[in-house]
Amino acid sequence: MEAWILLGTFIGLCALSVPIAYSLGLAAIAAALWTDIPLEAIMLKMSDGTDDFALLAIPFFVLAGGIMAEGGMALRLVNLARVFVGFIRGGLALVNVLASTLFGAISGSSVADTASIGSVMIPQMVRAGFPRVFATNVTICGSVQALLIPPSHNAVIYSLAAGGTISITSLFLAGIIPGLIFGGCLIGLVLLISHRRGYPKGEPVKLREIPRVVIDALWGLGTIIIIMGGILSGVFTPTESAAVACVYAFLVTFFVYGDYKMRELPKLVHRVVKTVTMVMMLIGFSVAFGYMMALLQVPAKVTALFLSVSDNKYVFLFLVNILLLILGTFMDLAPLLLICTPIFLPVIAKFGIDPVHFGMIMILNLGIGLITPPVGATLFVGCAVGKVTMEEVVKELWPFYLAMLCALALVTYIPALSLWIPGMMK
Amino acid sequence: MTAKQRYARAMDWLYIACIGVSGLALVAITFMIPTGVFMRYVMNDPLSWPEPASVVLMVMFSFIGGAAAFRANVHVAVMALKNAVGPGMRRRMNLAVYACVTAVALFMIYYGIQLCIITHRSTVAEFPDLSQAVVYSPIPIAGVFTLLFLIERLWVGEPPKTSIMFADQATEAS
Repeated sequence: MEAWILLGTFIGLCALSVPIAYSLGLAAIAAALWTDIPLEAIMLKMSDGTDDFALLAIPFFVLAGGIMAEGGMALRLVNLARVFVGFIRGGLALVNVLASTLFGAISGSSVADTASIGSVMIPQMVRAGFPRVFATNVTICGSVQALLIPPSHNAVIYSLAAGGTISITSLFLAGIIPGLIFGGCLIGLVLLISHRRGYPKGEPVKLREIPRVVIDALWGLGTIIIIMGGILSGVFTPTESAAVACVYAFLVTFFVYGDYKMRELPKLVHRVVKTVTMVMMLIGFSVAFGYMMALLQVPAKVTALFLSVSDNKYVFLFLVNILLLILGTFMDLAPLLLICTPIFLPVIAKFGIDPVHFGMIMILNLGIGLITPPVGATLFVGCAVGKVTMEEVVKELWPFYLAMLCALALVTYIPALSLWIPGMMK
Repeated sequence: MTAKQRYARAMDWLYIACIGVSGLALVAITFMIPTGVFMRYVMNDPLSWPEPASVVLMVMFSFIGGAAAFRANVHVAVMALKNAVGPGMRRRMNLAVYACVTAVALFMIYYGIQLCIITHRSTVAEFPDLSQAVVYSPIPIAGVFTLLFLIERLWVGEPPKTSIMFADQATEAS
């Protein structure tokens, strides 16, 4: 009964459209009142949730990505991607996907990726003769790679939701191959569609321009070297690497590229504060919610429920994929990571699934949820940037969903894709 | 200027103060941590304060900024049902949401103050003069700010699109 009070209150308040952070807090309060747990404990857990040093990596990654996105990085990565794939049929669409892969190594946010790459690529693709809806679809789907390719602040959220028991470094490394496979599936689809519909070939980049294009992009890509190099060499913790990346991004965009104006910085900080504090409040309240879930043995009950359906881990993973895809259509990525991770961790332990591998499955599932109606932040931003309606986009998204589900199936059922690189680095 | 306009103007200033304080905290942390790394590896003189100072600033950043995020309406919510119902039901749902936000804000104020009272004698290890109560004081303060922003929404209505709150969006769209 107590567990139903907790979950029922949360679901009811979410349905009422109460902000999810407050719904989590109120559900924890309701369950605490029902079970005579002092509310001071809820407050203590909430404050604990926001004073963890590792949390700081989230605003830093968002800030570094924001500085790079608005400091001309997107255009330079597009130019670099053009060197590799711009000359083949459907070249600009391929450039779009590859630029998202590279941008993902800087920003870690699919919304930022869509806004930055989309504003550069969609107009170019439309001018070259690609339909606007196709250009938008390629952009929004390609941007999901950013959630997997390191550094992903969603990996940090997953690690924190797991109580800090899962290494952020392992999660970063685990995302590399799934992110590339996701991009590969999209590239395969784009090639197929481009050949069938006769989309144009792109212009090859002149040989003498290539060194300048590569050097220009390398300055920005230095961020990933600082972050991953710093973490893997043991010089930085993930939080420190994110802070150093912010300073580096600032120096590159202001002094090397010179595209960013100092007067734009307060606007960027304003936006980062709004975005990140929303996530921080979510994390604070979700810790209180998680505490009540643990007290009321919700994870144990969920484990028993799944085991009663099947004790086969592949069936379990299939069911989890379906569940997360459905939940992802209604709710945003960060809250779902924070709510579902503590519930599923004991279940995956029973099934012998590695939590790093499971993190990739969750992030990819919920990333697909970002481009599904009715609630999909990346879908909304993509429609705004592409100047198309959501109905037009969704009508032509199904082949992209198929490609993404292929990638999801590979990541789900071949754990080595996620675990090989972290295993090598141990 | 009517009382409503004066209140809305005051809330604009409060919003700017919240974003300003949180933004400065974020910028300060962004420079503090690399300073710690620089001192540790380059100067070979590790500093003990950047990490705890960052955590103190992060609590302030999270809660004070969180109150501003409420005014800016950026907290994530599930809108599917609200978008599907008629205007009358939507109004009633809005009132229920405001009641819930009030409950959370009151919880943050009352139990936040309790937390400050309980912890006021203990100090942050690296800063012997800094009481834990100061570290946690942004929680009740954010509760008060959230209530003030909620009163604005109920009494004056949603801030207009010309409000300072949306000043960051011009760049976002470009």
